[in-house]
Amino acid sequence: MDLTLSEEERLIRDTAAQFVARELMSQEGSFLKQKESFLPPGDPPRRDLDAAIRKSLIEKAKQIGLWALDLPEEVGGSRAGQVARVLIYLEFGRTALPFEPPSIPAVVAGSPYARRFASGELSLSLAFDEVHKSGGLGEIRASYRRSSDGYDLHSDGMDLVDPGSDLYLLPAKEQGSDEVGLFLLERSAPGVQVEDETDLTTDQTVARLALRGCRLARDRLLGFRDVILETIASEQLRITARSLGMGMRCLDNSLEHARNRVTFGRPLASRQAIQWMLADLSVSLRTCTWLALEAAWKADQGLPYFHDAALAKKRAARMAFEAADTAIQIHGGYGVCKEFPFEGFYREARMMRLLYGREAEMDRTIGEKAIGERRKA
Amino acid sequence: MDFHLFSEEESLRENIARFVQDELVPLEPFFENAPDIFEGSRWKSRARLSRDPEVKRYIEIMEGLEKKAEARGLWYLDVPKEYGGLQVSNVAMIAVTEELEKTSIPFELGNHVSNILYACKGEQIDRFLLPCIRGEKSSCFGLTEPGAGSDPSMLTTTATPDGDFFVLNGAKVFPTFADVADFVQVFARLPGTQGREGVTCFLVDTGHPGYRVVRSIETIAGTEPCELFFDNCRIPKDQVLGEVGKGWELNQAWLGARRFQVGIRCHGTAQRVLRRVGDLLRRDPRECDSAALGYFWGELEALRSITYYGCWKADQGLDVRFEAACVKLFGTELLHRVVDFSLEAAGPSVFRKEHAIARAFRYARPRRIVEGASEIQRHIIQRTLFREGIMCMELM
Repeated sequence: MDLTLSEEERLIRDTAAQFVARELMSQEGSFLKQKESFLPPGDPPRRDLDAAIRKSLIEKAKQIGLWALDLPEEVGGSRAGQVARVLIYLEFGRTALPFEPPSIPAVVAGSPYARRFASGELSLSLAFDEVHKSGGLGEIRASYRRSSDGYDLHSDGMDLVDPGSDLYLLPAKEQGSDEVGLFLLERSAPGVQVEDETDLTTDQTVARLALRGCRLARDRLLGFRDVILETIASEQLRITARSLGMGMRCLDNSLEHARNRVTFGRPLASRQAIQWMLADLSVSLRTCTWLALEAAWKADQGLPYFHDAALAKKRAARMAFEAADTAIQIHGGYGVCKEFPFEGFYREARMMRLLYGREAEMDRTIGEKAIGERRKA
Repeated sequence: MDFHLFSEEESLRENIARFVQDELVPLEPFFENAPDIFEGSRWKSRARLSRDPEVKRYIEIMEGLEKKAEARGLWYLDVPKEYGGLQVSNVAMIAVTEELEKTSIPFELGNHVSNILYACKGEQIDRFLLPCIRGEKSSCFGLTEPGAGSDPSMLTTTATPDGDFFVLNGAKVFPTFADVADFVQVFARLPGTQGREGVTCFLVDTGHPGYRVVRSIETIAGTEPCELFFDNCRIPKDQVLGEVGKGWELNQAWLGARRFQVGIRCHGTAQRVLRRVGDLLRRDPRECDSAALGYFWGELEALRSITYYGCWKADQGLDVRFEAACVKLFGTELLHRVVDFSLEAAGPSVFRKEHAIARAFRYARPRRIVEGASEIQRHIIQRTLFREGIMCMELM
């Protein structure tokens, strides 16, 4: 057992940490205060990163290998193992500036779009709404049927976050069988209906996606059950790592604020109520850190890790939510101000708890497995 | 980063797993109805003196197991090499305990050697340390006093120098096994000192003039800690453990290393309790309970992971007070919640005194207090957080 970062892992972590500190943290304050350079033209309903700034950040991130972490170098990605990926996303999670390597699952590497995904020219959204409920494949209602020259897809409708992306990745059940396939479709493809785009409570939008008479060429089916499960686990690890970063930031700033803020003649840091909130948060953060790294390490070793990734995500997203809650409480009125990062973390972490398996569903799955396993024994 | 156990540690773990399968698991039905003393290492206390034939039969089995374990070379695992042991790492000892905890048989490998006894020097080694390693003698730990519990620096037992002797005066409370131990490791302070200064540890034989075990006190967990009294008890200088005035450091070392074992024991007990709940739910499934069951299984994995991490850090020779406090706090509080849920899920029938869940209920409660209450652990954690800042949370 060696739980230190290897030289390579340390290098990756430090590279990401420096990029986040120099390029992102330095602009976070201006972004949160919505200085003019960050405001898109018109009357923006929500905060977003200015397009020119985003473009220059993408270029810088690509140069140092912090972009398209799941795509191989042949197509212009900078493929990283899961441990490295966790270390990177953790660093990006520390800032409320909405910028991190996009999640473009490894499975699209074989598609004709791979290069343009890796370059940042095309964007991708995961239409995994039906997966979010349980974290598994059981709730998928979108369906497909083989036709002579490809596939016919059908869906009565699902929620799609970030519907403005150029392409969607969507799992669907084969009609009349147990097979599940993963499809890559263009937003502009015939039969793809995207309607009712509205704001989410996070700084994203959501729309209704329906597929009616949608015909896809044969090469748009990227894989089956295994790659979907792998994609889910990989996304869970990304969310886990981002949660860890948020937790670290909330703890760090709360410690600092508690040291400096004086009430009734004493710093907050001397109050047991404050001390215990932070002690409990740090224990929770510790447990999440090691679950995350062990899950990622198992993935890199080729060991089964889906269960570990799901558990890590469930606990870490919860921890991040509680970390943001604690940071808001300790910062008092400032905590809920949009000029501070905590209210944004609070909204985002609440959403993350709902993605790729809701807590109660994941608990029930593990519980039923525990009951079932004993039956076999 | 590598989460694999080293190959020697892994083969040790496999050996233990085999021992558990071959020798312990077959005894489970028999121990199901064992008297309450057979939980943890309690059977090693006064039960040994019992004349009850039923208790005697259980003890014979336990002693037979000790011989079998020794024959398999599994007895002196954490004993340093210089004393003939295998000196396995903290991580390996956690793996060992994790395997042992898979069965409900209350069997521990090795004789109980309080780790501060490795500070023995000269003749103390033959007189106190080696007999403990060989299982010929046992000791108890006298730190807590009626007026000094969570804050042991308030201890008032005095050790007054008098020529080649120290004269001990004062009272101690809660040392477990004092009534059957051959000697006590007792902490007292030099006259005129305060706080952590001047604290000194003495090795005092049971029956030594002036040292009296006043009584034993029954607790919820079935343990019977004692009350000790020192009345002008003259102890020769060569029975000071470690150095005069350096007792505080010994006390810290004792607590530090034990907390990880507490973590993995809580993990084991909780796991066994949850398995029983799983058995009950299979017959009578209810959705809300299976979700709670899953929740706790997940929490146990989290406990396991920080326990291994803390031990690994201890093996690197690093300061682990922060990690130890995290494990003690999280582990004991989690076990308590698991047991509480299990009683809700299982209902009143498992509240029979000798039911495993009821036993765990009584056994879990003191764990949140002994060896540092949860509040003390939170104090240690926040102290490190404010001293070191976020750096204490970063990966190494």
